[in-house]
Amino acid sequence: MGKYILKRLGYVLVVFLILSLLMYLVYAMIPYDRARAEVEKFKEVYKNDPVGFENKYQEMRKDMGLDKNVFVRYLGWIGVVPINGEYQGLLWGDFGYSYEKDMPAQKVLVEPMKNTIFINIFATVLALGITIPLGIFCAVKRGSKRDTLVQVGTIIGYSIPTFVTAILFIWLFAIVLRWFPVSGMKTAGAEFTGTRALLDELYHMALPLIVMTFCSLGGMTRYVRASMTEALSMDCIRTARAKGLREKVVVYSHAFRNALIPIITLVIGWFLGIFSGSIMIENIFGLNGMGRVYIESLNAKDFEVVLLLQMFYVIIGLLGNLIIDIAYGIADPRVRVNK
Amino acid sequence: MKKTLALLLAVLMIVGVFAGCGDKKVDKPADGTTGNNPPAVKNENKVIVGSTTDLAGDFRWPGFGGSSAGAADQDVNGLIVGYATMETNQGGAYVWNDTAVKAHSETEDENGNLVITIEINPGLKFSDGTEIKAVNYIASILAFSTNVSVQAGHTGRSGQAFVGFDSFNAYDGEEAEGATKEFAGIRLLDEYTFSMTVKAPDYYPYYFANTYGAVSPQALGLVLGEGVEVKDDGNGAYLTEAWYEKDAEGAFVKAAHLEAARYDWNTYPVSGPYYISDWDDSTKIATLTINPEFTGNFEGQKPSIKTIVYTKIVQETQLDQFKTGQIDILSGITGGDDTKAALAAVDESEGKFDEVHYQRAGYGKLQFECDFGPTMFASVRKAVAYVLNTSEFAEAFTGGYGTVVYGPYSPDFDMWVAVEDEINLIDYSFSVENAKQALIDGGWIYNETGAEFVEGTDTVRYKKLTAEEATDVNINYASVANTDGKEYKTVKVGDDYYMPCVINWFGTTNNNVTDMLGARLVGTENVAAIGMVVRSTTGDFDKLQGEIYRETSYGYGGTPTFGMFNLATGWNSSVYDYAFNWSLDPIYFGYSANKLFDEYDVAFPYYAADGSHTKMSYDEAMAASGNKLGMDYLSMAMVYDAANVDEYNQWWMAYIERWNDLMPDIPLYSNYYFDVYNAKIENFQTSPFWGPTDALLYCTIANAE
Repeated sequence: MGKYILKRLGYVLVVFLILSLLMYLVYAMIPYDRARAEVEKFKEVYKNDPVGFENKYQEMRKDMGLDKNVFVRYLGWIGVVPINGEYQGLLWGDFGYSYEKDMPAQKVLVEPMKNTIFINIFATVLALGITIPLGIFCAVKRGSKRDTLVQVGTIIGYSIPTFVTAILFIWLFAIVLRWFPVSGMKTAGAEFTGTRALLDELYHMALPLIVMTFCSLGGMTRYVRASMTEALSMDCIRTARAKGLREKVVVYSHAFRNALIPIITLVIGWFLGIFSGSIMIENIFGLNGMGRVYIESLNAKDFEVVLLLQMFYVIIGLLGNLIIDIAYGIADPRVRVNK
Repeated sequence: MKKTLALLLAVLMIVGVFAGCGDKKVDKPADGTTGNNPPAVKNENKVIVGSTTDLAGDFRWPGFGGSSAGAADQDVNGLIVGYATMETNQGGAYVWNDTAVKAHSETEDENGNLVITIEINPGLKFSDGTEIKAVNYIASILAFSTNVSVQAGHTGRSGQAFVGFDSFNAYDGEEAEGATKEFAGIRLLDEYTFSMTVKAPDYYPYYFANTYGAVSPQALGLVLGEGVEVKDDGNGAYLTEAWYEKDAEGAFVKAAHLEAARYDWNTYPVSGPYYISDWDDSTKIATLTINPEFTGNFEGQKPSIKTIVYTKIVQETQLDQFKTGQIDILSGITGGDDTKAALAAVDESEGKFDEVHYQRAGYGKLQFECDFGPTMFASVRKAVAYVLNTSEFAEAFTGGYGTVVYGPYSPDFDMWVAVEDEINLIDYSFSVENAKQALIDGGWIYNETGAEFVEGTDTVRYKKLTAEEATDVNINYASVANTDGKEYKTVKVGDDYYMPCVINWFGTTNNNVTDMLGARLVGTENVAAIGMVVRSTTGDFDKLQGEIYRETSYGYGGTPTFGMFNLATGWNSSVYDYAFNWSLDPIYFGYSANKLFDEYDVAFPYYAADGSHTKMSYDEAMAASGNKLGMDYLSMAMVYDAANVDEYNQWWMAYIERWNDLMPDIPLYSNYYFDVYNAKIENFQTSPFWGPTDALLYCTIANAE
């Protein structure tokens, strides 16, 4: 198993390097000059000195390493060649710089990451807590009126775009019923502390959380239902029933275990997804999360932040696959991952 | 069935728990005007201001270090920094702040430099009770004129307008040729008096030279850190050696302090009407509390609202946030639909909400490239102005909440008010006939064969280019985005070149203005009727900038292609200075958005061939030029030759008239901005130059606790 994991980690490194090079090249190809954008802000200061202005521009290009070949810049970003006589880059703990926010790229991501994880943990637990039992229930009661009702409900929920659901829920719960705030992350100007502050935060998170949960119900419920339906039709289940086992034991110990393999992929994916923010939800509800940072950075062409984010998700994705493969082995002894 | 019921109950319980929290919170709003509860008798002495721009925590000197200054950060900065020697008033003009300044004088020294001497009032205090002295005013000028600040990401040119800047800027803590530790132009004269000498001739005479005297006090710890003093031994103010201390790698130690201090919102005291009592980087909410030490702005006005909260709002739902009481002030609403919705909210509120509005100091516009293609000719620009019904456009875009201007001004400018009855501007009201006539007068009288253009037979007018006009760019000029498959380009007939009246226009995507202009200019009957074609290309803003500034790194292909762009422009104050924007000197190309080289300036330039300039009064210059003063001359003379407000206004009027005649831009709409607010806020008055945070200084809360 150890050897297998090491081998997979080696693959992760290779894939990371290939993807990072590709991503770096893509952003380098975009017609945008960060040095020009930065020096434009000094234009007024250099109004009487156009030569000084041009010198400042060239100086900025040099400082940012833009006077160098894109491959040299990439290697500098990784940290294996010096830029302006200094080693920097990923290997040296320098994850890039946000010129829009004027701070190190990783610092830009700290608070949004916390917020995203906070809301995603709740959303994931809530969604799984509802969808798995509901999916099992529907599979067991397949063809019943209740199953049909859930199927219709989930297909509607699954088909409605997130932003439509969000707007409808805001209108209903925040504007008409006034149960929740329209947007924001806490009551502006309130001086709550401790539990009261947490409750206030949860109160503000409630509506986006409900929207996120609602939007994810359809897909997962139907997925669990399908897996369980397939599992329930297996010979071993028939045998179990023939042995006179209780229906609960048949469903939860035998059928569900068999249905786990496809579900595990999704469930682990969901948990890994707690690091990624929802661009739509975060923007509509004004949440300072990863999704919003991502889209804002893209719009502002703050590519070092975008690159860091994407590379982070690449790592998460690659490690996630490894974890899923290992989890297969745990869930189903027939699957061997140590080769 | 039981299970279903249980499940439903469980869901209802979850919702109930949240709703329970919700009920508590909805009761919370201070004004008592929101939620389902009846209005409270007393209002909390607090105002919540919503901003669609993110707060970044860059409150100390937003944008000063060269990064983009967020509007919200600037607003907060405006509330925590006070006692500036000069402040902008409601009309956007710089005025001396008598609350901070005891006396000031402006004199010329023997070298023709302007010496601004300022004595501040004793007894001014920072929020921590420490007294504000002259050193607090000059410390930041000194610090931000050194390379220490450059290392911290600033320009290091804060004091560039003052005598002795170059040598002071060159000093790195060690004696060197051309470097001095003293800043000769900045003097610390006594505990409460300092002076600043504006350098002639680069920065003085200059109409707005006295604005160089506008400085704000900063806590020494904030700017200089520990162990640094400001001294003056008679040769100029300077910073003691600790400022220039370097670490083992040769980096300035204090640069790290400057970087850290920039985001340090609570260690150092402030001078403004409010101090930041809380800043939450996670939720982007800043809470400001009244500074009891603040004695007033330039009018001696002190705040009475105890707490101002600045919070991020979502543009799409901002009005709902306002209506549900999450925020008290929603500012800068514009555009037909948004304005109507905001005003409806006010009307339906039964007195709970109110509004104030003002005309924007700026306008949306069509901007022309005036050095190539058809748009290099004023006749074409004028024809577009006539054929595009700007009144109808403004009406449609602003929903009736906007007007049209025919020049680069705001009706709120003092100079506009002064010359309004005198100024003679061409009215570019919609007229196909006028548009056609402008083209005919401009020589657009040929067809593609070089024969006379015949209306009804020929579709596009052509102009015969003179030898000077037949540049490489012009003889290769061609239309792009030819979606109908027809390409128009400059044709050679015999030895002559004929250019088609076809404008390549570039607009940004996801922009209503672009869409609306397209519907009115591309392939329309009116445009076709005058023998013109407009070709539309859309893209992102960087591409647009790249084309305007001709930056290959922004996607510019090396040959100018687009002659028309839609953009917007505006002013933050009434400091109106367009010097160098119309210069004939290619070195100033980067400052010229239109690249308009006025023929009048060629004939009668501001600077003679040897670089000298003979200062003349307006009448003398007009007479000398044969009443033909160009854009460069007028824009330069306006700020460098005018000695008083009357002279300035005279130059300004001539500049606006010349601009209006040449039409380097077509102003499309000058929209109204609406600020809606909770009516508990009394005396809330904003203007184009006077935002909500300025206005709040004069406000009170009705029935405040």
